[in-house]
This record gives sequence, C-alpha cells and structure tokens, in this order.
Amino acid sequence: MSEPAIPEHEHRPKALRWAGLSIVGIPTLLLTMTLLMPTPEITAEASQESAETNSDSTSFAVVNARVFDGERTHPKATVWVENGHIQAMGPDLELPDDLERVDGSGHTLMPGLLDAHVHTWGSSRADAVRFGVTTVLDQFTSPTELQKARKHRDGTGDAGLADLFSAGYLATVDGGHGTQFGMPVPQVASPEAADAWVKARKEEGSDWIKIVVEPGWGQSLPTLDPPTIAALIDAAHRQGLKAVVHASLLDDALRVAELGADGLVHVWRDREIDDAELETLKRSGIFVVPTLVVVEGMVDPEPSMALAEGPLGSSLSAPQRASLERRFPPSTKLDWAVPTQSVRRLAEAGVPILAGSDAPNPSTAFGFSLHRELQLLTENGLSPEQALRAATSLAADHFGVPKRGRIAEGQLADLVLVAGDPTADITATQRIRKVWKSGRPVKLAAEQQAAPEIATAPAPDDTLLADFDNGLSSRSGQAWMKTTDDRMGGKSVVDLQVVDGALRITGELLQGAMFPWAGAMTFLGPNPSVAVDFSARKELSFRARGDGRSYSVMLFSGDMQGIPPSLTFESSDDWTRITLPLKGFRGAEPAKLRAVSFAATGQLGGFRFEIDDVEIR
Amino acid sequence: MSRAQALSPPCPSTASVSLSRRLSAYWTESCYELVSVFRQLDFSLPTLLFPAMFYLFFGVLFGKGSGMSSYLLATYGAFGVIGTALFGFGVGTAVARESGELRLKQVTPMPAGAFLVSKIIAALVFSCIVLIELFLLAATLGGVRFEAHQWLGLAAVLLLGTLPFSAFGLAIGTHVSGKGAPAVVNLFYLPMAFLSGLWIPITMLPEVMQKLAFALPPFHLSQLALGVIQLDSGYPWPIHVAVLAAVTFICLGIAARGYRRR
Repeated sequence: MSEPAIPEHEHRPKALRWAGLSIVGIPTLLLTMTLLMPTPEITAEASQESAETNSDSTSFAVVNARVFDGERTHPKATVWVENGHIQAMGPDLELPDDLERVDGSGHTLMPGLLDAHVHTWGSSRADAVRFGVTTVLDQFTSPTELQKARKHRDGTGDAGLADLFSAGYLATVDGGHGTQFGMPVPQVASPEAADAWVKARKEEGSDWIKIVVEPGWGQSLPTLDPPTIAALIDAAHRQGLKAVVHASLLDDALRVAELGADGLVHVWRDREIDDAELETLKRSGIFVVPTLVVVEGMVDPEPSMALAEGPLGSSLSAPQRASLERRFPPSTKLDWAVPTQSVRRLAEAGVPILAGSDAPNPSTAFGFSLHRELQLLTENGLSPEQALRAATSLAADHFGVPKRGRIAEGQLADLVLVAGDPTADITATQRIRKVWKSGRPVKLAAEQQAAPEIATAPAPDDTLLADFDNGLSSRSGQAWMKTTDDRMGGKSVVDLQVVDGALRITGELLQGAMFPWAGAMTFLGPNPSVAVDFSARKELSFRARGDGRSYSVMLFSGDMQGIPPSLTFESSDDWTRITLPLKGFRGAEPAKLRAVSFAATGQLGGFRFEIDDVEIR
Repeated sequence: MSRAQALSPPCPSTASVSLSRRLSAYWTESCYELVSVFRQLDFSLPTLLFPAMFYLFFGVLFGKGSGMSSYLLATYGAFGVIGTALFGFGVGTAVARESGELRLKQVTPMPAGAFLVSKIIAALVFSCIVLIELFLLAATLGGVRFEAHQWLGLAAVLLLGTLPFSAFGLAIGTHVSGKGAPAVVNLFYLPMAFLSGLWIPITMLPEVMQKLAFALPPFHLSQLALGVIQLDSGYPWPIHVAVLAAVTFICLGIAARGYRRR
C-alpha cells in the first residue's frame, strides 16, 4: 500500500515561514513573559530575605543540644535537617562532612510550638513565628486567610510565617458570640441546616469545626440550642472533621462532652467541677485548651506586661504591643481560682490539656502569650515537660496536624533552640536563641519602625471641609478618593460621583476581607503626610442621606497605626444633618488629625449614600 | 499513485495516510490560515488593537491605583480572546462557505479536521498576541503585580476560553452570509461583553443586570479569569466550567445543523 502523493511545497512562500514561526514563537513568548512578569513586592522582599539567610541551604545539623522531641527529653542528641525536613535524630549520628553544624551545648532544641487557640489577623503569622510558634491553630478567621495559607502549608510553608490551620468561620446564631466583630458569619438556623453548614465549611477549607455555646457573660446572648449543637457535632464527624466548642459555663462543657465534641477551646470559668463531673469529662475523651492567659488578662494583666519587660520583649512588633496593651472592660466579676483550679483537676484526672493563648484578645499577643500560658500551666498542675507536650505533640495529634509538633524523621524542620532546660524550668522557653521554620532561620528581632515625627499644620479658619460644589476637591486642596478593603485582601468596590453638589458614594461590600469596607476618604492637611491641629474644634458635622443602612465615619490621626476609631450613623431618604462629637472617636488625637472617611462596613451587599457640607467645627 | 487519484473524492481513507503526513497537512493549513487572517487587515488590526486600547483607557488611565487595573486586565483579556474566536470563526467560516473555499477544501485530501484546527490555532496565536499586549500594559503602565502562577493561570484560562467562543463563532458562521457575518458577530459580541461586565466591573452594574449576566457565556469566562487573581464574585468555579462546556456543545450542535443544511 502506497501513500497518496500530496505534492510537497518545495518553494514555500516567505510568509508561510513567518506563520510557522509565529505559531510556535508567539505562545512561547507569552509563556516566557508570564514567568518574567512582575510579582508583588512582598514576595520580592521575602525572597530577598531568604537569600540573605541563605535559604537554599536548608540543610544543617544541631549538635550537642538537649533535645525535647515533643514527647520526651534526650540529654544530648544530634538533629539532622535536610531540605527543610528532619532527616534523622539520635545520640550518635553519622553526619556528612560538609554539613553545616550548629553547636547547641547548654541549649535545648524543641519542636516549633503550636498555639491551639488564636484568631489570625494582619501580621499575626509573622509575629507568632518570632516567638517560636511555628504553627497556629486558629479558631475563627475568614476563609480567605485560610485559603491563602493552605496553598503553601503542605510544602515547606511560607517563608518566615507560621503555618495556619483553622476552623474558618465559627458556628453561632444571629447576634450571638462571634458576630460582634463586624465580620459576616454564615449562621446555622436549625439542626437540619447543620449538614449543609459543615459541608460549606469543609469546601472553604476548614480543618475542623468550631461551635460557639455562649449564653453571655452577665448580659444575655442568643446561642445555639442543644439539638443544633448535637447535629453540628454529628455532621462534622460524618464528614470526617473534628468539632471543638467554645463554652464558658461548666454545664455547657459537660453537655457537649456527652454529645461527643472533640475539644473545648477554653476552660469554663463559672464554678468548680465535682468528682462525678470530672469523671464524665474524662470518660468522654474530650481535650481542653484552657487559654488561661486570656482569662488572666481579665483579672490581672500585670504578669504579661512584666514578661514583655524580659527577653521576649525585643521581638514584639507594634501590633503585638498594641494588643498586649489593650484591656477588657473592667466589669468582669471573675473568680481566678475557678479556671486555675479546674486546670489542676483536669491535669490530675489525665484529661488531655493543650496550650493556647486566644491571641490577639486584649492583654495577649501572638506567639508571645503562649510562653505565659506555658508558665500558667506549670503553675497549675502540669510538669514543665507536660506543658511542652501541650504545645507540641499533643496539640498536633488532637487537631490532626501532620508533620508538626515532633522532632522525628520526616517531620518539618520547625525548630526552636532555647538557652537552658525548659523541661526543668519552663521560663527557659522565653530565652529563644534560634527559630527555624521548615529549616529556614527566622529573624528574631521585630522590624521596629521608628515613629515618624508628624508635621502638624494649624486648623484653617473656615470650618467647612467640603461642600462638593466644585467637584471632588476638599477645602484643604486634597481630593476625596475611594477607600476599600482592597489592601486587606478584600474585594469590595466603590464609586464616587458628585451629583447636584453632593458626594454620592455607591458600591458593594463583597466577601473577602475580614472586615469589609468601602467608601470615600480625604486627607485633611495640605498634603497626606501633614496632620492638622483640630484640638480647638468640638465636632464633625455633615449632611447625609441614603438607602437606610448605617454607615461609619472613621477618623485617622497620629501615625495612623492600628484600627482607626469610628462612629456610625443611620441614613434615610431625607437629608439629615448629623453631628458627631470629636470626643466620641475614642483614641483619635484631635490635635493630629490626618484624614476622615465615610464608609459602608459590616453587612455585605450593595449600598448607596450621599454626604454634603462636611465641617469640623 | 497519480495526483488525480489523490485529489479525487472521496478522500483516500485516512487510515492509509501516515501520521506525519496528516500532521504536515494540519501544519500547512494552519500556517496558511494564519497568513490569510493576518493579511485581512480589517480583521486583524481591530482584534489585535481594540482590547489593548480599551484597557489602556479604562484600566490604566482611569483606573490606576484603584485596583481596577488588575480587575480589568482579566476582563479585557476575556474580551480580547472572545473577539479573536468569534470573528475568526464567525466571519471566517461564513466567508469560506460563501466563496466556495470550504467546498473546495472538502474535495482535497486535506483531513476534514484541518479546517477547524487551523482556525483554532490562528485564534490562539491571535489571543496570545492580545494577551502579550495587555500583560505588558498592565505590568508597566498599570502597575499590576501578580504571583507568577497567577500570570500563568490567567493566560491559560483565557487561552482555553478561546474554545467555547470558537464554537459560538462557528455556530454563527454556518448560518449567516459572508457579508452579514461581521454585523451579526458584533450583535452578539458587544452587548454580551458589556452585560457580562467585561468593560466595567460587573459589581458596578445594577443588580438586575448582574443577575442577567449569569445567562451570558462571557460572564463565566471572566469569572474564571478573575478567580485566578481572587477577584471573582465567589461562585464555585465548576459552575462556570459547566456553563462554558454546555455552550460549546450546544453551539457545535447548532453549527453541525447549519453545516448539513447547506
């Protein structure tokens, strides 16, 4: 059988050669380009940093150190790290000659710590890792945070960040605990909704399910009813997830233990436990993350403040100091003996106890507060070694976190080298000498940005800031501009228009950032870096109308660090004059006002409002 | 074997033609197709330049610093690849059909698929050029920064997006005359592009229109592209893939009917 003779093109036109070249060349060019396109600066910095710390050699050995492997202590052992993982651990390892060696004499090498109760936010993962906390087990954050972190954690993680495992959204009811932060939370209305709710969390990437049972502290809060709690626990188990519970009352803790909950993420604090009840808890197999440190903060924040004076203090960043210095409202009538005594009883009974801080609640800080928690655990019935297990192997095992919490072959090389012997004196964990995350050394000093001196201009004589009769410009010469949650990973959108001499702000809050917002802002000074002294003025006044939802006014002052103080106002169809006292913006510095913003916050969805005649008078 | 034999219909059984021969036929046809579309300046210039021009105006000059440059890169990317596919197939097929070129090709020993494959290749090459322009504008003037995998993902999603719209174009091209084709294609292309949020973000359209967009294929391609840079509206991506797959099959069905009817 012969082939049909298709005539050969012996003299192909030149254009055809070009076409052939294009078919191969143009896609190749596109492919090459995508690989060379500019990437966000954060990664650029991170890669630069890792280049400095020589990250391509994540292979080394720590020799002559005491090693706590997550379960027990080896007086003198060698730990060999190869490509970010632990290759071997033992007393007499044969090491390759050219392997870099770190001398650990007089020091103790421990697994990177796990904090079993945090709420990830902002710089938390970078902050935690400087304190030897290489993995955070988060009990409520936005799924966007989690999904970002999930991408990297199965490999050797993000450079210089603690790995994140999380419950994602928590289960609560409309108006219940967990909804007060302004972050929208999908709710479970009934037992029938439990399966779908858990499924949705699983699809978002939740590693386990967190359920809130909180009838309120003193005040009364709506909370999930027992049938729904039972249905949630069952649904989680059917779908292969663990279910942990926030309960601050012992009766609730006992009830969920009997319903099969896997863990309590706080110790109760209403009354002491009796023997029969303790037996019930023990038999249920439930574990407890007491979070004593956050409870201590409600009673007496001084010990944590004192700790910040010690060797750990130098690693605190500005956001960490800010959360550490914040305080719970002083109203709490709390008997500190209840939580501490309860931990003691739990430890005696052999109920598994895990270390968690509940950072960044008031008087706590990411990473930092776990060291205080370890101290509190040893003051209340745990041996130092038990406390260390609570922050390493036990936490990893009970939350099902792979490759972390132990020093053993195949585990991630998340390691902390401390001076002294924390298995005898737990405060040795505070003398951190080195931290490795996946074999990469972590810089221990916090980036301290010296507070820049802020230039201040006197307030203008005219109290009117903007009347929008001449478009978007303010009297200060600055334009009104869009502000959205974009830089917090949000997706909200906004549009500004001047219509009939008023500023119309329309847009939509979209799920994405933990606290979605979108609106308009303007700087008050002649240029954005100059603050204005409005200390002689009393109030912010403006006219507004809108679609009936409530809106926030935020005042930015001083160095503009942290969350700016805000007040809300209601909008209606009719123009209304709204006057807000400057004093009402708690934490704002009227002598150093920088900017003001009007924005929609909280509830997702479209919004529309108008403002006019903005005055600071 | 004589040349007359080779050319005589029906085509020699394809099984008897060696693979390399067939590939060579596909290759030659693709090269010719590309040359021919490049030479049709009234087609190639607008398809190659409009998306970049629009993006320059709306995404870069007006949208700079607002995050719009990233968003609109994905949507004008979708706009660009949809254009190359719709015009290449819609107008190209209609003209080839009317001029008798299609019939002529059928009586040559050229494998039947080469006609389609060459058009797909040409559309992909054009799409690549559009994306190169947009990416360059975005990275230089727009200040857009993505991770490498996002740049790559964006290009991959958009290039794959050429396929459903090629089928869409084919469905049009098998039903309309060569003269009418550009108008008919535009009748679908421009309104769909606007209503799907390719020109201005979907979230800025009134809510009713946002809901309506769900019925339009370009919306689903743009959502997949936006998903790569995490700016999508949050529908699960399999929905978008399913809609686009359905569009592809339905359009191929319509195209087959039109082709047979001829």
